[in-house]
Amino acid sequence: MKEPVPPAQPATDHSDLLLVERTLAGDQHAFELLVIKYQRRIQRLISRMVRDSDLVEDIAQETFIRAYRALHQFRGDAQFYTWLYRIAVNTAKKFLLDLKRDRLVTQTALQPDGEEDETSRPGNEPITDETPESVLAAREIAQAVNAAMEALPEDLRQAVTLREIEGLTYEDIATAMDCPIGTVRSRIFRAREAISARVRPLLERQSGKRW
Amino acid sequence: MTQDMSNTRELVSALADGQLRGEELARALTLIEHSEEARAHWHAYHLVGDVLRSDELAAGSARDVAFAARLRQRLQQEAPMEHPENAMNLLAAGLNISRAEGLNRAEHPAANDASMRWKLVAGLASLATAMVVGWHLTSSDGKADGAPQLAQTNAPVPPVAVVEATPAMIRDPRLDQLLAAHQQFGGTSALQMPAGFVRNATFEPPAR
Repeated sequence: MKEPVPPAQPATDHSDLLLVERTLAGDQHAFELLVIKYQRRIQRLISRMVRDSDLVEDIAQETFIRAYRALHQFRGDAQFYTWLYRIAVNTAKKFLLDLKRDRLVTQTALQPDGEEDETSRPGNEPITDETPESVLAAREIAQAVNAAMEALPEDLRQAVTLREIEGLTYEDIATAMDCPIGTVRSRIFRAREAISARVRPLLERQSGKRW
Repeated sequence: MTQDMSNTRELVSALADGQLRGEELARALTLIEHSEEARAHWHAYHLVGDVLRSDELAAGSARDVAFAARLRQRLQQEAPMEHPENAMNLLAAGLNISRAEGLNRAEHPAANDASMRWKLVAGLASLATAMVVGWHLTSSDGKADGAPQLAQTNAPVPPVAVVEATPAMIRDPRLDQLLAAHQQFGGTSALQMPAGFVRNATFEPPAR
């Protein structure tokens, strides 16, 4: 069984800072890249607090909009995801308060204890009121990723594992694998290519949409 | 052509890891922000990383495109963001990147530069005040501080003729008469000793 995802990447995320800076300079595309990167983690976090999947998506949307409006307050002294995490939790709490006040939503739409901890739920338990189809789709993606990972040559698998799971920098990976940084970059890229080659057709079939 | 595409995707991969600098970085950002294909790879690479860390993050990934498209529409309704004064130079601050790597603090002032300038001015003003007060105290105490030094010297102190000069005091005789007539109402001095020129003015509020 895999370890729960830590709240933030272990290494300082240079690309996040770059994208924040560009967003502040007026480039909305840069913020969209941050959204693409973090939307799954934010939605999973919110799904710990709210059972209704439509509501989860609405709160996630609101979270990113609030983050965009407040982005000039981000100082870069914490990880971007840590900052975003707090906004998501506060946004979800506010949604839940408003809903309780309105008394229009039954308690079944809400988690019984309003739990917000990412790691508090056992790994395989369904986290929202997803359909069997969406559960199957997610399982397909996960299986494709894991199968592609197993099929990788050892050097590629090691490089991508050190990067994605251990969170090492290219420099650290180069030291660990005793190879140049350029080789590390190439191995990680080839590993990702091999895995995403299996995943992308599934995504396009499931969503019926392309970027 | 294929090589170019491969290079492009490799740039996207390295950008996802925050490993690009300079010209490569600029090229990757331009590519990814304006190419749907590059953006699709950006999504796929991050999804792969998420799923490698936790299978749970595969849930709902089929809706990622729709989610991002919906958010894009909302973002377009937001006021354009222009915060050149808040160009935080996050990279230099957070990662200690050198100037040689392309970040110029003159072009990217820190977000708190303005407040730091005020703090600097306030600090200098405090220092100047402290120096003036200190100089004043030292100069007044200087006589006392200088005394031991003078005592150590054997130079004869020339006699000083002290002239008792009584300062002229302009007094209003009517005020003296008034004070003499109402002496019993006067309070005692807080000094607990005769204090010649010190007089207390007291006020008794009317009893309720």
